[in-house]
Amino acid sequence: MLLLFTITVVYSALQIRPSFGEPSVHSTNGTFAVSLPMTLYNGGFYDISGLNITTQATDNEGSIVTSSTTLFPLISGGASATLRHNMSIAIQQAATSDLSHLLFMDSEFEVNTHLRLVYAKAFPFEISFNMSMPWGAPFANLTLGEVAVVPVNITHFRALIPVSFENHSFLEMNGTIALEIVDYLNNVVGTSSTSFDASPGSLSETSVEIIVSGNPANIREARLSFQTPYFNYGPMVMSLV
Amino acid sequence: MLPRVAKATVKGLLYLFLFYIIPVFLLSQVAGFAPQLSEDFQQRVTVFAAITVFFAVAAELTSGTIYQHGLNIGRALILIIYFVIALDGGIMKMDLDIIEGQRINIMADLRTYLMILISIDLLALAKSVLQMVNFLSERTEKQLPQPLPHENL
Repeated sequence: MLLLFTITVVYSALQIRPSFGEPSVHSTNGTFAVSLPMTLYNGGFYDISGLNITTQATDNEGSIVTSSTTLFPLISGGASATLRHNMSIAIQQAATSDLSHLLFMDSEFEVNTHLRLVYAKAFPFEISFNMSMPWGAPFANLTLGEVAVVPVNITHFRALIPVSFENHSFLEMNGTIALEIVDYLNNVVGTSSTSFDASPGSLSETSVEIIVSGNPANIREARLSFQTPYFNYGPMVMSLV
Repeated sequence: MLPRVAKATVKGLLYLFLFYIIPVFLLSQVAGFAPQLSEDFQQRVTVFAAITVFFAVAAELTSGTIYQHGLNIGRALILIIYFVIALDGGIMKMDLDIIEGQRINIMADLRTYLMILISIDLLALAKSVLQMVNFLSERTEKQLPQPLPHENL
């Protein structure tokens, strides 16, 4: 009896045919959703129960970016099941947590996939594998160029600061960047803002004109704040050349 | 002796078919996508088939003797050890290279299955021990001097 059960279990397990569809990436309201369609044909005699698919994506610094779970209670013997496992990354979450580097630096996510199931109501299985997924930063290679200074009067000067970045994400990025110029005494000596509109994969170059009080030699840094429809982030401190 | 040899041969061939030919055929089905898994399991199946066929034939050839029970006890003990080793103590872990450059770790929890196998072998062991005791006691009884009729009076 046990021999017959063992043989039929092995035979049935060999009749399981998983197939994976093309993963699709959507972005809505600042959330990236990666969807993996999967079809599991259980051609054997026994049920697959408690199928649990868990994925956890970590960035190259080891921080958890997203984690999601899909449950499928039962795939009967001889039946086929189509399931869709979704992973979503809210860019707002990146802006408000310690994942802010993902806004400015491209990364390679390590996606750990973990499958758990019980076959023939007797054999618990755990299957795990890793894959990598590229992440494109919406403000990649953010750079403040060389500051051009033009005196306005004895106490003020006009500073022209080139700002450039590349939108490596799937999102249409638009909004404003607000700049504050800070001197060595930590005083804000000038403020301004500029709007931007960067389509996915494009380079955005703009110049911010600021009237600054005091001596140009006393300028220490610029503080940048980003306002977009998806998130607000800042201030981000960058030194000025 | 000749019918015993014929019976042992038939039993050996039947066991070979059940415990070697069928499992190897099933494993050959996996060889396409997981040759490493197929190779590994084929070794385990071969050892299992060798143990089973050897003990089946040997026990058949020595049937009616004390050796038959000794061999049955030996088979039960060896199979218990074999199952524990072959099933990695009930938790089997495999690293497979199914997709190129993509390692897949599989862990199967076979502890319940292993417990059932061990239980069956322990029952077989107990049965063989009892059969051996029965065989020895019957033989001793036969060797005892038969009481004479006048002593009964």
